[in-house]
Amino acid sequence: MRIGGRGATLGAETGVCGMIAFFKLALFGYIGLTVIYWLLSIYSRSLERERLEKEYDQGDITGPRDAHVARGMAEYEHSLRRRLIWLVFVIPTAVVIALVWILNFS
Amino acid sequence: MRYVKWTFFGTLALLLFAFLHYTLPQTDIVRIVGTENRRMDLGENAWFWASSDVGTAASNSRDIFFINAVYPNGKTMEYRNEDTGWGWPPYFKMDSSSTNTEAKELQSTAAAPKWVAVTHYGWRNQLFTIFPNAISLRQVEGPDVRIIPWVNIVILSFLAFVLFMAWRIWAQFKERMIEPAVIEAQETLDDLDRRADRAKAGIGGWFNRLFGRK
Repeated sequence: MRIGGRGATLGAETGVCGMIAFFKLALFGYIGLTVIYWLLSIYSRSLERERLEKEYDQGDITGPRDAHVARGMAEYEHSLRRRLIWLVFVIPTAVVIALVWILNFS
Repeated sequence: MRYVKWTFFGTLALLLFAFLHYTLPQTDIVRIVGTENRRMDLGENAWFWASSDVGTAASNSRDIFFINAVYPNGKTMEYRNEDTGWGWPPYFKMDSSSTNTEAKELQSTAAAPKWVAVTHYGWRNQLFTIFPNAISLRQVEGPDVRIIPWVNIVILSFLAFVLFMAWRIWAQFKERMIEPAVIEAQETLDDLDRRADRAKAGIGGWFNRLFGRK
């Protein structure tokens, strides 16, 4: 009885077992993934802006440089590449589900 | 200074290697001679043990499954068989009871050996009473079966890819954000400098006009 009582509190405090551990993993996992998502989107946007600037500097495009870059960036925001960054959340989730399944239930 | 630098990087590399060596899966080919269930009161070595089974209360005093095994060369090996649950390392193992049953099923004698590939992580250390944690068992044909560590290949390649991407992101950030900012700051400073020079010259001129040589 003593151990049960103490263990239950310990579990709640340290969160190493059961659902608490699961929520802890999910919470910190998604916080980490959000940081990665954010870094990758900044990186990808920067690459696109650089590409547009270089494209303009080739000299075949009329109009002001800023307008060309702004138009290109607006287009990029709806592009497939921009949306593929969401895979940062999708792939690890799928991998964890697959691992739990393969390692325990198959 | 050079020694300090190399000691620092050497220690870092050693720690990284130890971490990966402990955490990544390895496979031993052994003969299982028995399983047992032992009460352990974990103390200073609790760090090298996993948590209580998923769904049960956390405690440092609990029953733990063990698998006793013998290598083809006759040396002995003991594995613990614990749930890692949702914690670290991320093996998501929750079936230690099933693994215990499998180990019982695969038990064999020296006269009629069944060779088993035990995938595990962790170290065996007699000094601190720590054991590697067996993740999965599978019967193989003989003690000389070649096992290709695909999981490690995938994980290490992925780590290398992450490092490469981190370096690329940093390079891009430096090229597009830091360097232009530095150049801009330098230009502003130069501008200030020039203005200061001009102001000084102006004052000097005024003084010269007032008191200087005529």
